[in-house]
Amino acid sequence: MKSPELKAKCPICRRLVPAGEPDFPFCGARCREVDLGKWATEEYRIPGEPVYLSDGERMSRDDGE
Amino acid sequence: MASNTQIYDSTSIKVLEGLEAVRLRPAMYIGSTREAGLHHLVYEVVDNSVDEALAGYCTEIRVTIHIDNSLTVEDNGRGIPVDIHKEEGVSAAEVVLTKLHAGGKFDSSSYKVSGGLHGVGVSCVNALSETLHLEIWREGYTWEQDYEKGVPKGRLQKVGKAGKKTGTRITFRPDPTVMEASEFDYDTLSGRLRQVAYLNKGLKIFLADERGETPKAHEFYYEGGIAEFIKHLNRGKNVLHEKPIYFEGSKTLPNGGEIQMEIALQYNDAYSEQVFSFANNINTVDGGTHLSGFRSALTRTINAAGQSGGLFKDVKENLSGDDVREGLTAVISVKVPQPQFEGQTKGKLNSDIQGDVVQLVNLKLGEFFDKNPQVMKKIVGKAIDAARAREAARKARDLTRRKGALDGGGLPGKLADCQEKDPTRCELFLVEGESAGGTAKTGRDRRYQAILPLKGKILNVEKARYDKMLGHEEIRTLIQALGTGIGKDDFDVTKLRYGKIIIMTDADVDGSHIRTLLLTFFFRHMQALIDQQHIFVAQPPLYGIKKGKKIEYIKNDAEFTKEILRRATDNITIEAAGQSLVGAEARKFLAQLDELQLVTRRVERRLRDARVVELLVDQALNLDSKADFQDQANLEPLLASIQALKVVAEIRPDEEHSAFQIVFRDNTQAERLISVGLQVTPEFRRLRTLAKQIGPLNVPPFKVVREGKATETKENWRDLLIFVKEEGMRDANVQRYKGLGEMNSEQLWETTMDAERRTLLRIDLKDLVESDEIFSTLMGEDVESRRKFIEDNALDVRNLDV
Repeated sequence: MKSPELKAKCPICRRLVPAGEPDFPFCGARCREVDLGKWATEEYRIPGEPVYLSDGERMSRDDGE
Repeated sequence: MASNTQIYDSTSIKVLEGLEAVRLRPAMYIGSTREAGLHHLVYEVVDNSVDEALAGYCTEIRVTIHIDNSLTVEDNGRGIPVDIHKEEGVSAAEVVLTKLHAGGKFDSSSYKVSGGLHGVGVSCVNALSETLHLEIWREGYTWEQDYEKGVPKGRLQKVGKAGKKTGTRITFRPDPTVMEASEFDYDTLSGRLRQVAYLNKGLKIFLADERGETPKAHEFYYEGGIAEFIKHLNRGKNVLHEKPIYFEGSKTLPNGGEIQMEIALQYNDAYSEQVFSFANNINTVDGGTHLSGFRSALTRTINAAGQSGGLFKDVKENLSGDDVREGLTAVISVKVPQPQFEGQTKGKLNSDIQGDVVQLVNLKLGEFFDKNPQVMKKIVGKAIDAARAREAARKARDLTRRKGALDGGGLPGKLADCQEKDPTRCELFLVEGESAGGTAKTGRDRRYQAILPLKGKILNVEKARYDKMLGHEEIRTLIQALGTGIGKDDFDVTKLRYGKIIIMTDADVDGSHIRTLLLTFFFRHMQALIDQQHIFVAQPPLYGIKKGKKIEYIKNDAEFTKEILRRATDNITIEAAGQSLVGAEARKFLAQLDELQLVTRRVERRLRDARVVELLVDQALNLDSKADFQDQANLEPLLASIQALKVVAEIRPDEEHSAFQIVFRDNTQAERLISVGLQVTPEFRRLRTLAKQIGPLNVPPFKVVREGKATETKENWRDLLIFVKEEGMRDANVQRYKGLGEMNSEQLWETTMDAERRTLLRIDLKDLVESDEIFSTLMGEDVESRRKFIEDNALDVRNLDV
């Protein structure tokens, strides 16, 4: 279970939020929704290694497999 | 405040209705006979004084609660007219006190603007009072009259001189046979009077309570009026601009009356809207024409300012009313002659002033924005953020909304579901990539194991690199497969279709990134899955060592090293410091050297010079407590050794720790510190512990003896370690699995998926709090600070997930 001393920064507004708050780690429903929107719009990307592709590959490869 | 030279005498007083009904049905006139009604009596009397203030004749109102719960309202206005009213044949004051709907407020020539709640007048108060004492200072004389239950005990009497003093004082005691409540509440009155003072800038209102042991008193006086009200409402909040925006305006009506409008507003960084509207000092809780005028003009003006300021480059639509009102605190106060209210509680203004308010806001707020572009930018920026959030919320809802009728069945096509329907027995493997997904599908036990392949990579054409992410479709598919829904209102953990959700990714950087993405998503939006221990990480092996037909699987580097050292020491002996180490002793020594190698690498990340770090391994040095650093002489030998490497170094005081430190320059000329700050780090402490444990044996040269013959001599411990590891690898058929795809389905089953043989890592909330912080840092836009964060925390990329 959530221990009371556990805290996290709200991923959106960076306010400190103690575990146990209803929207933890978010400070509230609003920031939760904004975050979910970011997932839905593919804003969360971890930048990877550079690739060097020919023009042809550049056109056809986009699935990363 | 407006001033007015109209005649105010008995001719101004009109009689509209009799008073008899008030005592019979008090609630009809003052709302109730309980607390609200009791205080309403006070407001009626105060409103009369405020009317005098609005007309420009009164600057102070004093309200005093007496020990017997009688109450006095005194003002320094003109005093109620005392001359004989033509129609009624008694003093005008008596008319005001005894006739319902009588008073100056009902004649627009005496008060252009009048307050009062529902205009029932002070006669109601009189009717509902056991006793009422009236004093008037007017025309140089003092006048008095007493009433009981609304009935005059005599005529209005001239009792003395008043000099230049003018005003009215009414002391009344509510009739306990009619009123259920009798105790005035200081805080209730204080709240209301404060509001009245805010709404009538410059008006002083004193409230005193004589009942308690220590009498209470407060003065309400606001030079800034509603602008100060705004500050009061925003106290303790982070405001976007320090000074509230304030403007006012007025308009003269054809009949001589006047509309006055005052608006103050200020934005804070919260998301809620706090707007109060008033008409003639009455809080119009249901808004009305003044509020709707303000709202539409605010939306229009902010949009216009943003457009002309070129701030809408990446905003597609106009900002909506909801957008521009996020974080808004505003007070709209209008004063109109004969206001029209509607609704059950009469909390809504119906007078035709919407157009006037719109005009005022368009003009004055527009001007303000022109003169204060910085404030305008902040406000527009806040509204744009709100618009984006609204858009984000819409996109978030798309995650669960079905695409169309053909989507019908509910389960995603990519999911290879299991046969079992009891969620507690079902497992879902989240596998990165189609090919690994295919292997897992073949290898699984389809009775209870389901496979969902996820695509986690996308080519970022613009930046020419592969970014790791969970696409919109991937997340949709994931939510569908889990069955829980998403979002504050829709997520329901009881609908979860699997008891175990197992993340199975490659043991490389890409795999750890996908894992981080998935765990972050679960942590943020499906936390109950973690609380209820449904989330696991599979542990595919990193190495396979082939022995004949059997393969021994090893899941991480530490285990692998252990195995290699075990193999190497099967047939060799190590001679160090005159001792012969065999078997377990040799293994222990080598394992310590291996760990030393790891921690020296960690310390190198801080000190940036391998040669200096190597010096720290000397067991003879004293670098193990704060005291060791407080003795300057103790640091001299190490300083000498560092300088012997031709490194620029010196001893300096370390004021923060009341100690000394060695400061040297790395090869980029940056200063590096050997100080108390370093001494307390876990890696340094571990390095020193190992240095001491190994110390007695760490005396080169080291001899490696195989089958009785010395085969090799090594001059330092690092070379010894390399040699021994090579020995251990000899004749071993080692395979390193970079990805799940390098195993066939049978191997994947027996090493990673088979519930009888696998090990799973269970994820708990604590792990994820830290992980989330790192994720946020990785997501930060600033690449430089991201790099620095990773460096400062001395983390391997591989450790960047759980």
